[in-house]
Amino acid sequence: MSMLMLEAVLLLALIAITLVVIFNKDLMVVVVTYCAFSFITMFLYIVMGAPDVAFTEAVIGVISTIYFIMTLRNIDRRCK
Amino acid sequence: MMTQIETILAGKGIYFLTLLLLTLGLYGIIVSRNYMKKLICMNIMQVAVIFFFLCFAQKNSGTIPVAMKHIVHAVEYINPLPHGLMLTAIVVSLGTTGVGLALLTRIKEKYGSIEEKDIIEGEKQFR
Amino acid sequence: MRKVLPLILIVICLGASFVTLDFLPEIGDPSSKPNTHTTDYYIEHATTETNAANMVTAVIVDYRAFDTMYETTVMFIAGVAVVLILASHPERKNRIRFRKVRKKESRDGKPVYRTINKEVVIPLIEPMIMLYAIYVLFHGEISLGGGFQAGALLGMTYILDVMVIPERDSLIRLPKDKSTALGGIGTFIYVLTGILCMAGGGVFLEYEKLPIPMHALEKHSTGMLLVEVGVAICVMATIITILNGIMERVHFDDDTD
Repeated sequence: MSMLMLEAVLLLALIAITLVVIFNKDLMVVVVTYCAFSFITMFLYIVMGAPDVAFTEAVIGVISTIYFIMTLRNIDRRCK
Repeated sequence: MMTQIETILAGKGIYFLTLLLLTLGLYGIIVSRNYMKKLICMNIMQVAVIFFFLCFAQKNSGTIPVAMKHIVHAVEYINPLPHGLMLTAIVVSLGTTGVGLALLTRIKEKYGSIEEKDIIEGEKQFR
Repeated sequence: MRKVLPLILIVICLGASFVTLDFLPEIGDPSSKPNTHTTDYYIEHATTETNAANMVTAVIVDYRAFDTMYETTVMFIAGVAVVLILASHPERKNRIRFRKVRKKESRDGKPVYRTINKEVVIPLIEPMIMLYAIYVLFHGEISLGGGFQAGALLGMTYILDVMVIPERDSLIRLPKDKSTALGGIGTFIYVLTGILCMAGGGVFLEYEKLPIPMHALEKHSTGMLLVEVGVAICVMATIITILNGIMERVHFDDDTD
């Protein structure tokens, strides 16, 4: 399997996660799925030969997820 | 068969999938009525833009941009310029996410909710 | 209707952008326009001119250092903005009274994060992350990494510390005024390096004119290291500032009040 096909598969996974983010009603599920989103993005960057960017994305994805979860303590989990 | 798919992907396929991701993020921002979801969809749009920028840097049979002694030609290294630009963009995106979350906390304290409908209803009390 | 109308808009946008895909270069083509003009110069001269094997670091903090200075300033300003937004509560008479009062979700049993074994996490994991951050910071020129990643790792260590250890047992805590000031110090170190280059007779951020008795390539390495230390301090302080700002308004299960 070549690099481009691997990239296409990972991009399709990102699109699937985006659909989950848009149509799910539980905000905690959305935030944790967003963490998976940044993890797959990191793989995508590694595949396309940008390890520096992937390193940054790995750390920043974790920190932004922590921020989201801490804000989620203040607001309602359910959304209409 | 495989080479045909690769030709399509290299020409238009990857770009189309990236544009699909970008427009899905835009759709999420328009459709969802919860401000936190809007913030996450904005982050997704940002990832699509960063990926689109990094697409230009790829080279067939190129290695990562760390200099090695036995590789001298510029053709054999992946383009480092978009990497440098996008690395800073990712770090700055953390700052914008933090400012957005601070605004969300303030909105929640003032209106008691972050749903768009509740906020519009609550704003009518001041008229 | 509310969901269909944006969908039509999105489809129109996709169709319109499909036309422009013809003008984009083919992915992986070494002779395409983005891969040929200036970047060949960067790749071929990065090692000999800047003494940095990692070309990404060479591009960020040497060739385009002026750009990165303002990116660092943007991070600092983001931290200040979070502190200013969360500086005060809204006045009671301006708050919207909501009819349905949110009842607290019943959480029974012990909080889950009490089960982290602190004796394992603190002495083992935190020093490892910090050591790795220092390694990444000082080896940013010759291997992967750099100031941004090191700052983010250091900030993550602090987040881990805040999450696990109660306040009375901790060695170091940065309140939000001090962490904001630390971000300013990081940006200041960056600018100071540029001004030092001007004092040596060069232009702003021209590392070859640093007033230190060294070889020219060593001066490049020293200047890049100073700049990266500034970037790391600023990013770390901004992460801590945002954490402090959000943390003030959060109520946890095991808060004693």
